[in-house]
Amino acid sequence: MSETDDTLTVIVVDDESPARLLVREYLAVHGDMRLVAECANGFEAVKAANTHKPDLLILDVQMPKLDGFEVLELLGSEARAVIFTTAFDSYALRAFNVHAVDYLLKPYSAERFAEALALARARLRKAEPVPARELLETRRDGAPLDRLLIRDRSNVHVIPIDDVDYVESQDDYISIRAGGKSYLKEQAISDLEQQLSPKAFVRIHRRFLLNLSRLAKIELSEKETRIAILLDRTQLPISRSGYVKLRAILDN
Amino acid sequence: MHPIFTNGKQLGLYIFGYLPIGAVLVIGFGHADTWGTATAFFLPLTVLYGFLGMTAYFVCRAFPINQHNLIWRALPALAMAALTAGAFSVGIAWAWAAVLESLTLNVHPKMYLEQPWTLFAVGVLLFGLSIAFHYALIASLEAQRSESQMLESKLLVRDAELKALRAQLNPHFLFNSLNSVSALTASDPAGARHMCLLLADFLRDTLRLGAAQRITVREEFIVLQRYLAIEQVRLGSRLSVDCTGSDQALHETIPALLLQPLVENAVVHGIAHRLEGGTVSIRAEIHDSALVMSIANPADADRPRGQGNGFGLNLVRQRLQAYYGASYVFAASEADGLYRTEIHVPLAAGDLSA
Repeated sequence: MSETDDTLTVIVVDDESPARLLVREYLAVHGDMRLVAECANGFEAVKAANTHKPDLLILDVQMPKLDGFEVLELLGSEARAVIFTTAFDSYALRAFNVHAVDYLLKPYSAERFAEALALARARLRKAEPVPARELLETRRDGAPLDRLLIRDRSNVHVIPIDDVDYVESQDDYISIRAGGKSYLKEQAISDLEQQLSPKAFVRIHRRFLLNLSRLAKIELSEKETRIAILLDRTQLPISRSGYVKLRAILDN
Repeated sequence: MHPIFTNGKQLGLYIFGYLPIGAVLVIGFGHADTWGTATAFFLPLTVLYGFLGMTAYFVCRAFPINQHNLIWRALPALAMAALTAGAFSVGIAWAWAAVLESLTLNVHPKMYLEQPWTLFAVGVLLFGLSIAFHYALIASLEAQRSESQMLESKLLVRDAELKALRAQLNPHFLFNSLNSVSALTASDPAGARHMCLLLADFLRDTLRLGAAQRITVREEFIVLQRYLAIEQVRLGSRLSVDCTGSDQALHETIPALLLQPLVENAVVHGIAHRLEGGTVSIRAEIHDSALVMSIANPADADRPRGQGNGFGLNLVRQRLQAYYGASYVFAASEADGLYRTEIHVPLAAGDLSA
């Protein structure tokens, strides 16, 4: 949300203060850009994005706790335009996949920075949203997720995947049960299923994705349907096809 | 050329192996009153067959047997070769008999030539045995060669890794540092110059030490502190350093830059992943006549484990192995949010007085 039609708000996220200093300096000559927040990590970035609803994010990739791609995933479609800055050229393909406006290799010149800003202006004029679903799919780079990121307004929860008991689908949301708490996330359960290790998480039911290590036993109920009893005595239904998948893994 | 000719002993053994076959032929063909003739005829003849059998090597090479070429695909060619060899062996027998008859030794092997088909069959059979022998020979030569190739490549890999360690410079470290210099140029020119000097000193150290085999722990600490000073410009107050050693330990010598990958891990995989940062502690002491060095840093339990620090740990372990053989201890542990690596190496002889 820009203040006037031609002023764009910018947030810079980098854990190194000299790097933020450089962006501030380079931005100063661009009258249509206004730096509204400088963040030293991903958590601050999510908070600042929530407050300022920036037009443009200038994001470092390697940062503590949350990397640049994770910040982008958490912001979803709120990230309207993103420029990555990093010393690593190996992230270029991923940056391209998440529709980054540009990818600046440190150290970069004021001219190169200006080019990136020009691309960002063009992108923002077209107002193409970043497809949130693709963000999710490219973050993991083929490997199963090792943690889940959940955004609750301006707070971010990082849940190690081993802490998750099970996931329940609720319309457009999933409810993630972990450590005695439930977390809501806007995601389809089938998308999450694809991102997790099929040996650790099994879709036992259309609505349930179970962490196998939480399974205590399987009971047969009266109506020929099966019920998964978890270590904490939670009961989850098992569908016919879910039972086939479960058996295939348990028998191995 | 046939590989058996490369080694006189092998050639002798190969020919010697034909003598029992010759003995069998002598017994098979000889009678009470013709032992002398049979021996004079068949024993040298089998040796000649032995040389004829060597041609099987080239047949086997031309029709190798492996997963792609099964034996029946080679069979027609092998059969042709054996039949030809059989015909040759009859010819050789005939020629040898003629030689023996012409010498006045009172041996008359001509009678054996009256059974040419038997001689032919013997020739075919012996050539068949020779084919089997040569396939086995080729297989064992291949196995030997691949084993020596494997050893050679292992050595090369180790060599390359040591070189990589010498060249140390992590390009990302360099690029990030240059970015800091670029950033400080306008706002803090003195800071930018300081950073340039730190970088130059560190680069000079790593290049210079590439040539030196061993340096004192004190010298190693100076290099590490330069590296950490550069990282402190980038990470600011998040990184603090505590580097101390006992006098005796500082005088000990170690392979140059041995600790550098561990300190780099402590920063890159430790401090850099913590919002609040922390202290990298480096220690060197003498314990029970061993030099004990340790590096410790607070570690975030939730840090991504993807790329990990295994590369640096492996490098250090390989170098310790190369320098100290089995007489070192290298341990990495993580407890209560503290990641710690520890190295024990024997004291260098003669340094105790220092």
